[in-house]
Amino acid sequence: MSRVKWHAFLVTIYLLTKSEGWELTNTSTPIIEFKNVGLSYDDNEVLKNIDLSLEAGKFYTLLGPSGSGKTTILNLISGQLTATHGDILFEGNIINDVPVEKRNMNTVFQDYGLFPNMNVFDNVAFGPTIKRMSKTDINAKVTEMLDLVKLSDYADREINELSGGQRQRVAIARALANDPEVLLLDEPLSALDYKLRKDMQYELREIQQRLGITFVFVTHDQEEALAMSDWIFVMNDGVIQQNGSPEDIYDEPINHFVADFIGESNILDGIMKTDYLVHFTGKDFENVDAGMRPNERVEVVLRPEDLDLTTIENGKLVVTIDDQSFRGDYYEITALDDDGNEWQVQATNKAEIGERVGLTFDPEDIHIMRFNESEDDFDARLESYEDDADDAKE
Amino acid sequence: MMKKIKWGNLYLWLMFVVLYLPIIFLITYSFNAGKVMQGWSGFSLKHYGELFADTRILEIVVNTFLVALLSSLLSSVIGTAGALYIYNIKHALTKNVFLSLNNILLVSPDVIIGAAFLILFTVMGFSLGFTSVLLSHIAFSIPIVVLMVLPRLQEMNRSLVASAKDLGANNWQMLTRVILPVISPGIFAGFFMAFTYSLDDFAVTFFVTGNGFSTLSVEIYSRARQGVSLEINALSAMMFMVSLALVLIYYVISTRAAKSKKQGTRLVLPASEGL
Repeated sequence: MSRVKWHAFLVTIYLLTKSEGWELTNTSTPIIEFKNVGLSYDDNEVLKNIDLSLEAGKFYTLLGPSGSGKTTILNLISGQLTATHGDILFEGNIINDVPVEKRNMNTVFQDYGLFPNMNVFDNVAFGPTIKRMSKTDINAKVTEMLDLVKLSDYADREINELSGGQRQRVAIARALANDPEVLLLDEPLSALDYKLRKDMQYELREIQQRLGITFVFVTHDQEEALAMSDWIFVMNDGVIQQNGSPEDIYDEPINHFVADFIGESNILDGIMKTDYLVHFTGKDFENVDAGMRPNERVEVVLRPEDLDLTTIENGKLVVTIDDQSFRGDYYEITALDDDGNEWQVQATNKAEIGERVGLTFDPEDIHIMRFNESEDDFDARLESYEDDADDAKE
Repeated sequence: MMKKIKWGNLYLWLMFVVLYLPIIFLITYSFNAGKVMQGWSGFSLKHYGELFADTRILEIVVNTFLVALLSSLLSSVIGTAGALYIYNIKHALTKNVFLSLNNILLVSPDVIIGAAFLILFTVMGFSLGFTSVLLSHIAFSIPIVVLMVLPRLQEMNRSLVASAKDLGANNWQMLTRVILPVISPGIFAGFFMAFTYSLDDFAVTFFVTGNGFSTLSVEIYSRARQGVSLEINALSAMMFMVSLALVLIYYVISTRAAKSKKQGTRLVLPASEGL
């Protein structure tokens, strides 16, 4: 090889290592990716230009009210639906045209879809049987799966002899028996009673961590989403409103919808007078937000559990108790301020209806939402606060 | 102690007596030693003897059951396929058109269907006999099977199909391992109903039979016209027993199926027409 050619070869290798293509093979490829995916029926746009990226081994939740498009996303991942436009990628490969049965993922359906003509064992063995696994392998797999969902003693039961919770477990075992890389769960807990649902939330999380595979969980129950997920996508009107860790979503809702949908909120109109000073209910309050135009109109969010009752002198606001109910570990209080705004308060101390009390909260409990702020701008704003905080520490 | 009369029960019993009296009368006289239906001249099995000596009748019995069995089997297959097709039609109007076409055949008079088939076979130059009877029986049985299978499909949970696909089954595996087993009670009911319809069909068969081929109902009709022989009573009695046996078999199988699956829903008993 001539010297020049050798040099060119080395330069090429160097450039390759620098290029994005090379980087991709080094950093982990997302297991599932949506690139500008949309879905319409006739003129009805169910899903609008969705971009998302899921990492392997995490517990994701698609959270939103019915008709928000969350189940549509799930069905696009599983292949039950085909996107009108955009690309869906699995481990970096476009899978738009790959049929349901060829995708390495399985679904737990809302009504379980268990085969009534088969017993528990045969239901769980369905996938492995289709795959033509050997009898011993099938037996081992089914035993392992029934063990995982704590139904080892139920192999010979008929489906109609099982309770709702047990059917749920069979459905999970059956879906997992195919060794999917992604498990899709379509509101699987919605038919269970409260106590059972709580137990299953915990167990599902445990199963996910034990198997280390990706879970995509669809629910309209925000409490469920917050309790189980590594990462939440909040959906409404076919759009991802916000995505983030449960803490992010709860503590820093991006807009009115998210603030209202996740947990209980007091949402008020306000004005950011200057950095770190917000005006609402006719008063100025110190807060921790900055970077807005002077006198920009904003929405102010205060979580009921961040509010405390105090004496009128110590209160930042004065309110009149309108209603009160005991909730076990706190009192759920509705109070009215002098402007007529209604306040939801979760207080540890009891008050009398009609009593005038002070309401207090910390500056960092005031969450500011800009009107029509894009998710990227929102993230940038949040990051700048963290930088400010770091600067302050130094 | 006076027992209170339950008028409802009394009415029910009266109805059954009225319904079954002619059949009981007919069966009773099949054991009459005399030659006619008037006057009881003693118990005898001689009409049954005559019946079993009559090779033409025995041949016709075999023919009748052969046609019934073949036509109900074939129409079960075709009817189930048809029901699956109608079930899978997405377009509402198309679906209704197919359903209506199916139901029209079911309600249209047998005489018209029979005459239509006769004209068709004649125009096509098709010789009348076993095949023409079999084909027309299959034709009028298909809508019955469709009607019995379709509700089962509609009751079936849609997510069963989705689950089977999701777990990697192709269409054939989905059909044979999930859909057919789930709708089997409907297919079974359709088969039995088609079987009884074929067994006792007179009108359609009367038109399309020929070349010496005959079924029981047609044969009984033509013999009864020539004058009542108690041999016909014996034959009718035996046919009645066969249909009774069929109903019993059906009942036993369906209760066993219901018991083993504990599905709670018993199969719909086909409304078997009097022979």
